[in-house]
Amino acid sequence: MSETLLEVTNLRKYFPIMGGVLLRQVASIHAVDGVSFSVKLGETLGLVGESGCGKTTLARVILRLIPYTAGAVRYGGHEIFKLSEKEMRKLRLEMAMVFQNPYGSLNPRMTIADSVGEPMDIHGLAKGAEKEKRIMELVEKVGLAPFHIYRYPHEFSGGQKQRIGIARALAGNPKLLVADEPVSSLDVSVRAQILNLLKDLQEELGFTYLYISHDLSTVKHMCDRVAVMYLGKFVELGSVKEVYNNPLHPYTEALMSAIPIPGRRREDRIILKGTVPTPIDPPPGCRFNPRCQYGEPMCKKEDPEFIEVKKGHFVACHLRK
Amino acid sequence: MNESLLNIKDLKTYYFTAEGTVKAVDGVHLTINKEEVLGLVGESGCGKSTVALSIMRLIRDPGKIVGGEIWFEGENLLSKSEAEMRKIRGGRIAVIFQNPMSSMNPVFTVGSQIAEAIKLHQDAQKHEIKEKIVEILDKVGIPSPSERMEDYPHEYSGGMLQRAMIAMALSCNPKLLIADEPTTNLDVTIQAQILELMRAVRKEFDASILLIGHDLGVISELCDRVAVMYAGKLVEHTDSTTIFKEPKHPYTQALLKSIPRLDVETERLLIIPGTVPRLINPSPGCRFHPRCEYAKEICSKEDPPLIEIGQGHSVACFLYGSIDKPNHKHR
Repeated sequence: MSETLLEVTNLRKYFPIMGGVLLRQVASIHAVDGVSFSVKLGETLGLVGESGCGKTTLARVILRLIPYTAGAVRYGGHEIFKLSEKEMRKLRLEMAMVFQNPYGSLNPRMTIADSVGEPMDIHGLAKGAEKEKRIMELVEKVGLAPFHIYRYPHEFSGGQKQRIGIARALAGNPKLLVADEPVSSLDVSVRAQILNLLKDLQEELGFTYLYISHDLSTVKHMCDRVAVMYLGKFVELGSVKEVYNNPLHPYTEALMSAIPIPGRRREDRIILKGTVPTPIDPPPGCRFNPRCQYGEPMCKKEDPEFIEVKKGHFVACHLRK
Repeated sequence: MNESLLNIKDLKTYYFTAEGTVKAVDGVHLTINKEEVLGLVGESGCGKSTVALSIMRLIRDPGKIVGGEIWFEGENLLSKSEAEMRKIRGGRIAVIFQNPMSSMNPVFTVGSQIAEAIKLHQDAQKHEIKEKIVEILDKVGIPSPSERMEDYPHEYSGGMLQRAMIAMALSCNPKLLIADEPTTNLDVTIQAQILELMRAVRKEFDASILLIGHDLGVISELCDRVAVMYAGKLVEHTDSTTIFKEPKHPYTQALLKSIPRLDVETERLLIIPGTVPRLINPSPGCRFHPRCEYAKEICSKEDPPLIEIGQGHSVACFLYGSIDKPNHKHR
């Protein structure tokens, strides 16, 4: 259980901004700026943060879907950034992704059998009747009927499309499944179906999840550990129990207090000032300092280190040393 | 306090499409009292926004209000002429939409767009208008309003723009403010800011608010009473404490159990099987019956009427009373 599957060390991803007459690089967006963490085999790590904090970029860099700027990612003994294209392609079998928008992530001109079977073709996993059998198995596993596989995406509802997206992700028997906001575009009453499905599949197939979301309630339901991201950096990381009951970073604290709870009127909420600054020129010192409810002079000068304050509970804040 | 401001009776709004008639709103009764915040909850496509558009008489082709009455301050809005409606819209009834980015005109300054609303509805001199804009922007928490009013919408962030939208809606002191998913597109911390602002607005302007949304958490933050819609029908209507503590309609009960919550530990979420039905020629009977675990024979034949089962608590369900202690199977 405690074997490490994924290890990310000081990962950075900057996007250049081109400008001027000669289209030279004039600045860069610090989308992911020095992130380190590890994911154990079979666990679910949640990644939360507001829009633009870099959580999706982080996932894409880890899967090497976009190039990295600096740092390292180790996955089950492989140094991801050092692999050749061919080796990487092989490894992609083990790392799959479920996307946020099931309407946009399925090719409308491919039948479900084509979409789910494509990874099998690419990796030469199965052919002909065997392939069809496997596709049917997968489709049944995610709660659809075998006859559905000859249909096209437009014939399905959003929830069903997301099931198909999951079936496709399972095609290569992945070990790591990255789910990027898998339910945020679905109706409330359908969300529970997909969340339960993801949990059941994990129990059955035992894979590891990197679960990305802005919705703290679903993350609490789904994950073992959670990392809170703000402007390209991790501000807090710990077990769900620890982070939700005892948030140490002022941002996490405000985030927790800001979530409306059905049937209750929250009087204890912390209202943060202003909005998330742009990641182009992040503020000096702690990136959260302009909005922080505690902010001290040193927060403006020094970037706090990401340190372990309790066993397994990391935080980047000067006030928690 | 209990004087009614808006009274919707048996509203029917249909969309006549090539595929058939979409009964988006099918016989909805709703009352909003003075100074009250009513939440209208439902999933996408249940007709909640169509209710809002019907009140404003903004239903466009192929949609049409085919029946019912909408009484606002003693007048039936459905019998008003277009010119009369124009005076009411943005004046006595104002709307805040979901997406502030696309609700503002990008080529005019924020100030000039608020000025337009004021000019249409109030007699005011030029300098008075400016003073008013600064005052209202200041009230909704825009910093240095006299400078920011000269900015264009793209120079505002999403949260600021929603504040500006609220300012525009409030600029003519509306009696009724319709807020259609006002915080859905915003980040959690910004959502908290806007909710706080809406609360303050409510105290200061003593307007009634119709808050439309799908997030039950947001609804419970602001509302006095809650109405739940499902597939074009009102299924339950009660105060905001009862709806969460003692929901009666199977849909409301299931909906509350199907969302992961921050304050409760749940291993398995309750699943409502199937999906929201299409509203083109819906099957007869209660619209929820194909997904309802208590469905009886009558449910597939007759449409349940909305019945009052307690003080201000109405439910449209044939089973009411017999499902006091629901025994949900967690599938």
